[in-house]
This record gives sequence, structure tokens and C-alpha cells, in this order.
Amino acid sequence: MLLAASYIFYMAWKVEYIFLIAFSTMIDYFSGIMMEKQTEKKSRRPYLILSLLTNLGLLFSFKYFNFTSSNLNSLIHFMGLNKDIPLMNFLLPVGISFYTFQTLSYSIDVYYGRQKAEKHLGYFALYVAFFPQLVAGPIERFSRLTPQLKMRHDFTYENLANGLRLILYGLFIKMVIADNLSAVVDKIYADPSQYSSIDIIKGVGLYSFQIYSDFYGYSIIAIGSALIMGIHIMDNFRTPYLAKNISEFWQRWHISLSTWFRDYLYYPLGGNRVVRQRWMINILIVFVVSGIWHGANWNFLIWGALYGIIYLIEKLINDSFKLEKKHKPYSFGHLALAAKTFIFVTIIWVFFRSQSFTEAIAVFKFILTNGNTATETLNLPISTLIFLAIFIISDVILYNYRFDKWSGNLPFVIRWSVYSVLIFAIIVFAGVDNFPFIYFQF
Amino acid sequence: MLKMVIKIGSRLALLGIILVVMNWIYTRFFFEKDLETFAPDLRKVRVVPQNTNILYIGESSNYTYREDDLDKRSISDLMNDYFPNLHVSDVTKPASHSGIYKVLLAQLPTDSQISTVIVTLNLRSFNAQWIYSDLETQLQKTTVLLRPFPPLVNRFMLSFKGYDIKSDDERIQQFIKKWERDEFHFPYRFPFKNVKEWDNWMAVNGIKDENGVIDFDRTALACHYIKAYGFQIDTLENPRIKDFNDIINLAKKRSWHLVFNLMAENTEKARELVGDDLLFLMEQNRDLLNSYFSRRGVVIVDNLEAVADQEFIDRNWTTEHYAEHGRKIIAANLAKAILQYYPNEYSAVGISYDYETYFFNDCDNGETWGPDQSISSDRAFSGKYSSKTGNGLKYSSALVYPIRRIPDSLKREVRIHAMIYQESAIHDDVRMVIQAEGESVDDFWRGFEINIPEEESRKWIPYEIIFTLPKEIYNANEIKIYLYNPSLTTIYLDDMEVEFLE
Repeated sequence: MLLAASYIFYMAWKVEYIFLIAFSTMIDYFSGIMMEKQTEKKSRRPYLILSLLTNLGLLFSFKYFNFTSSNLNSLIHFMGLNKDIPLMNFLLPVGISFYTFQTLSYSIDVYYGRQKAEKHLGYFALYVAFFPQLVAGPIERFSRLTPQLKMRHDFTYENLANGLRLILYGLFIKMVIADNLSAVVDKIYADPSQYSSIDIIKGVGLYSFQIYSDFYGYSIIAIGSALIMGIHIMDNFRTPYLAKNISEFWQRWHISLSTWFRDYLYYPLGGNRVVRQRWMINILIVFVVSGIWHGANWNFLIWGALYGIIYLIEKLINDSFKLEKKHKPYSFGHLALAAKTFIFVTIIWVFFRSQSFTEAIAVFKFILTNGNTATETLNLPISTLIFLAIFIISDVILYNYRFDKWSGNLPFVIRWSVYSVLIFAIIVFAGVDNFPFIYFQF
Repeated sequence: MLKMVIKIGSRLALLGIILVVMNWIYTRFFFEKDLETFAPDLRKVRVVPQNTNILYIGESSNYTYREDDLDKRSISDLMNDYFPNLHVSDVTKPASHSGIYKVLLAQLPTDSQISTVIVTLNLRSFNAQWIYSDLETQLQKTTVLLRPFPPLVNRFMLSFKGYDIKSDDERIQQFIKKWERDEFHFPYRFPFKNVKEWDNWMAVNGIKDENGVIDFDRTALACHYIKAYGFQIDTLENPRIKDFNDIINLAKKRSWHLVFNLMAENTEKARELVGDDLLFLMEQNRDLLNSYFSRRGVVIVDNLEAVADQEFIDRNWTTEHYAEHGRKIIAANLAKAILQYYPNEYSAVGISYDYETYFFNDCDNGETWGPDQSISSDRAFSGKYSSKTGNGLKYSSALVYPIRRIPDSLKREVRIHAMIYQESAIHDDVRMVIQAEGESVDDFWRGFEINIPEEESRKWIPYEIIFTLPKEIYNANEIKIYLYNPSLTTIYLDDMEVEFLE
């Protein structure tokens, strides 16, 4: 029933694309079983290749084909040839990057013998398509999710309450914070030349909170939805803007993706058990691939590469001066380092948010040149500012907690007062324009 | 289990109480501001004066005018001329339709004096492209807070996008599918299954000019016409029908006389560009709406073919924007239709529409027709003055007139007559010029030689030409008629007559 619900959920977006998930599921299901039947690693390899080719092939066709073709076309024209590789006019299937990575992790684990192949097609299909996290993660591992899907779950008040608490908080940060910020940030990015330097800087800074609240909001709504059914999905965020460096930031931001890259790319490349130069290259590869995972665009590649470069610089400085170990949590030193990380991350987000490299450079150019010259002013409603402050404070409070646990431990009256504020804010102060979840496009 | 049910039940009850309190807080402190922000059209309803007798609700066709209109008033204002002792007000919202009107009309105070409501019935608003227009999401959003539910519920629906919200791409897909799905049913053999096929055919084959070359502008316009009017209303399915029925029910409740104002469409252009098949569909839809709503007790004012082509302001698109004469015709038709409700208040008004087809200028009496510096008292055929050109004065006094104001049938030809006096032989470059320009026409210039023999110099000689005006300039903003003399020979012009002929 859960599988049917998940498929119906996906078909509500575009019916035809359910066949993609079903196809990918069948190939991986078959590959897994066949790999398990082989005793030799060598004889398992063709099935792993089948799985990789199928999943990455689909991902390439839908997500990267046009990007690759248009770049090749530019190269062909540059060489003076008058030929064009045709572009495809497909809509990118929602969540393809997420469920592809989820199934890939399964195939790779079965190949290495870390995971037994699933014999029950229904459970396997449900692992791929489990609706709360199907379209934008968290990217779950088979070993964590499937045993829970197989277990009998009694409906409990505690799961219901915790799930609803997470959904409530998720809706609050998505609808009240992210959507209201989006209305402001979009204007700045649409034409930064119209705003003063200070307003552009504010817009760039606000985007850091917009994307965080947008993606974090989705993630905890997904976690809450699954929790109501008694299924625990991994946390995807842990107060990332309090990270002291880029390395820690990625341990707290989109955790399911960064651990995926760690386990299925960084470690196979040799991780840090290689010579220093090779390790540095490994780091850069992981971040660049992570950038490209987000989208077929040079911007994302640059975005990933910048993380890699800053990661390496920080690592080298930290290894030399042991700066970060001296600071206790919430100490001045910690907060100063967190501020530094936040500034780096915010600057790098400009490449993520802009539609092109030129547009990103234009944002920086106008910050440096516009000064007080402006034809437009950034108007952030006071209510949004207040709720943003509440969100930042609550995020700091939730450094070591999750909202469901934290609020569940509050006295009854205070707890319901918190619920009331959140409900009222969601109904009365939510953004009214349609801002789809940013990560749906990946 | 029972314990859990009780626990959940008690929490739900608490939540219910909290929501009631929230609704009070919201209504008391936030609702009005939200109405201003998210339902700006409510203000349009609220400012309708209490003493209004007749309310006109419509879209931009009500007040759009053409720059050269002498009377730029809206249709609703023009209607007031017919009922000077009554008060006609309007609620006008661009790009609107019956789905929006019904929400706005429901907001009218129940104690208002309104006795007649005139609702714009725009034929195009029944087509798929308008029903699934990309403007629809924004329009629907403005009506959410006006729904008949507690304010907090409406605000909840607004926050959670509880209205017809779709992306532009989704809307496009919707009407393309509709175009494909809806098959034509003609009483005779028609080569195209649906509007998409028809449109494609027109786009590929195009409208050709006299040289057999495709005229892309006219072809594009023909495609617009096909997409705008190439449909057959299904009264069971079309959402506009349901909306109008809701308006009828509301009118019954409020005891309003209800009038549906079926707007004029450019049927002349439709026939010219696409042909009688399209006109057949337009008329069929008109007849259907007429009979459907008449049966429900609504007065239908059929203006479909009431306005002539040259009165349509937008020349490259299908709209119901009329110039002065068009608006006056609509207002007159509406006034006649509601005369039955106010027989003692009606005051007949002629549709005065100022245009002239005959012009005369003897350069006296202050009628200089243009460059004053050409007016000279050196000599004159009649009176004291004439228009002097030459030696640097290149242009004579000129007739400048908004030719589009003249009905097409009255401007097939132009006759120009003038008395000309030349000091010596006329140079080859001297011309009597007809020039036309405007945003909807290509610039036009035609010069006619003036062949007066040298021996006729120093005499007043009559000059006359009759020229068939090309249709392309019928809608020009201005036509200019003047003598062009770049030479050194002095030429005088007097008693110039310009007459547009049938």
C-alpha cells in the first residue's frame, strides 16, 4: 500500500515518469540478485556496470545531455564546423538525482558484499520510491531504511506527535522564512544593478537563510511524515551555519549527500590514505562532482570547486596552526570562526543562486561599484525579519536537539504556546507566491 | 487505544479553540491589511457609491480609448448620458471574466441601491487560451480572501495556495491539450479536426499578398483570430457558463435586473483574414449564449457585430478595445436594452461622432492648416492670403487629419483640388504629396507631378487629382496633404479642397 501511495504521489507530478523509476528499480533489483549469485567479484562486475550505466545513463540523458551538447556545439563552432548536436526537450524528472543515488548506493553495497540483495521486489521498489524522501531526499541507505519498511509499525501517539511537530516546524521555516525571503532575494538577483551595494549584500546574505530554510524545511517535513508511520529517516541538517570550517559545514549541511559522496566516491578514490597531492585531488574531485550533481551548469561546477579550494586552504592552515581545537562551543572563538565560515558559504552561494557565471560576477561587480546608487530599495517586511530572528535563535537552540524532541520536553502550556505561534505564523505570515522547493529542481 | 483516542481528541478540541481565537485575532488586527494587499479589487467594489442605480462590471474594454478620441469616456460613463437622473457606476478589472465578476459582485453591500447590473460577456473569455491563461493564477489569488468563509480559513487557503495555481508552462499545456481534444462539429464538411490543425495550416500556408508572397504579419494575426475564436462552447463543461449561472443566482437573490453585455468582436477582420468558417463559429457561439442565458431570464445585448473594423484600437491582436464611436455604439445598445426598467429616466442621445470628409482652405479666416510661415499676402486667388512655397519654403499649408476616423466606405478615394500660381516653369521635383503615418500602418508617401506649362505661368490655374487610397492607410493616425516645393521657383497655392469620396 505504501508503494502504491508512493507511486501515486510521484505520478501526481507527471504520470509518464513513473516508468523511469520502475525501470531503474527493475534493473537494480535484477542486478542485485544476480550479483549476489556470483561468488567472484569479477563476475559481479558486469551487473554493477549494468546498474551504473542504467542509472547514470538516465541521469545523464535527462540532466546533463543538453549541457554537454551545448558545450560541444560551442566547441564545434569554435573549430569552424557548421554542425550541431541536437538538444533534447525533456522535462527533468523531479527527484531523479536523489533516487538515482539511492539505488546506486544499494548496487555498490551489494557488489562489495556489504549488503545482501533484496529478494522482495515490492520492498525494494518501496526503498527506491518511499514518498516522503523521494523527490528531495534525504538520500537513505538500503541498510537503514528497508529493515524499517519491513517491520510492523503500530500507530503510536508519540510518533504522531513528533511527526506533526517536525512537519509544523518544517512548514514554518519553509513558508514563513524561505518563501518570504525568496520574494526579496529574487528581486535582487533579477537585476542587482538597481540596488545599492548594501542592499545587494543583504540580498546575498538573505539567500543563505532562504536556501537553508527551504531545504531544511523540506527535509524535516519528510522526516516528520515518515515518523508518523514509525519510520525514522536520517537527519539532513544540524545547524550548519554554526560550523567552524567548511569541512564541518559539510558534516552539517545536506548530510545524506555528503556522506554518500564520502562513502561512494571519496573512499573509493583512496580517501586520505594516499599521498598528500593525491588526497588534495580527491577532495577537489568530490566537491566538483558534488557541484555537478546539483545541476548541469558551469555555475554549479564552480560552486563545488570553490568549496574544494577553501576546504583545502582551511585544512592546511588548521593543520599548521591548530586554530579550531582551542575553542569551546559558543565561545567567542567558535562564533568568530562560524561567522567566517558563514561569510565564505554566503559568497559561494552567489554562484549557486545565479543563472550563469556572468550573472554571478555581475552580482559581485555591482556590490563593489554601486555604492549608494540605487533605483530600487530592498524592502524586507518587519514580520519576516522578526521570524527570521526567531528561526536563527531556534536554530542555535537546536544545535544539539531536533525540534520534535526539544518541543516535546517543554511544559504543556509553553509547548502549546509555541505551536500556536507557529500555526498563526504559517497561516497569517506565509509567503503567498508560489515558490517550489529549490531542491526539487535537482 | 481508547486512551490514545481521548488524548488525540482532547488535543484536537484544544486546537479548535485556539483556531477560533486566532480567527478573532486575525479578523481584528490583520484582515483589513491583508485585504488591501491581496485583494486590491475589493476597493473597486467598496468605492461604488451607495446611490448607484446601474452597475457596469467589465474588463479593460470599458475604459480603453484611442488617442485621437475626442470623447475619451468609458462605456459606463457614456451610458450615464442616457439616464441623466440615475447614477451609473463601474467596477473595471483588466483581463477579467465571469469567475472574477461573481466574486466581486458578491461583495456589494446588500443595502446598496443598485437595481441593474450589466456584466460584460466577452466571447473570447470562453476560449481555452483565456480559461487557461497565465494571468489566471494571479486573478484567482486576488479572490481567495473574498470567499464566503471565516477570514482565517481564507488566509489559510491563500498561504497554502488553495486556489487554481499553476505555472505558465502548465497553463500552456492545458490549453494546447484542450485545442487538441475539442473537435469541431460543422454542419458541412470542414477540413480541420480541431483548432490546432487549423492554426497549423494557417501558419504553414499563410496569407499571401498580390505577388504570392506570404504576408507574415497578416498570417500571424489570422492565427490569433483562429485561436481566439475557433471554438464551440460546451455549456456543460465551460467554466464560464457556470460562473455566469452563479451570477444569475446572485442577481435573483439581490433582485437585480441582470444584463449580459456580449461585446463586439472584429468580425470584419475575422472574415477578411480567415473567412466565413470562423465567422460561422463566432455566430454559433453568440446564438448559443443568447438562447442559453435568455432562457434564464437574462437580457442579452448582442453587440457581436456592432462595431466596424476601423473602430478596433488594437490592430495586431484580438481585443475588445474600441475607439470612441465603438464605445458609443455599445453604450447606446445597452441603454436601449435597459430602457424597459427606467422608461421615465431615459433621455435619447444621438451618437455624435465627429468626422469630416470635405475640407477647404482659402488661407484666410485664420484657417492656416499647418506651417503658418507659408501664408502670404503677396497674392491670392480669393481673399487676401495664399500659401507661398519655394526659395527655402519647401512645404505649403497642409491638411493633417486622423483619417481612421472616417468610415472605410467614405474614403475609398480622395479628390484634391487647388488653385496654383507659378512664377515661372515648375521644377520637376515639385509634388502634390499624400502622406500617411501611424503605429499600425507602414509609412506611406506618394507625390504627384504638377504639370503646368511654362506659358501658363503667372496665372491662377486649377489643379485637380483623384487618387484611390490604398486600404493599408485606412487606419493611419494621420493623413497629410500638401505641396512640396524644394525648388527656387515661387509657387502659390490657394483655395485648396480635399474631399474623401465613397
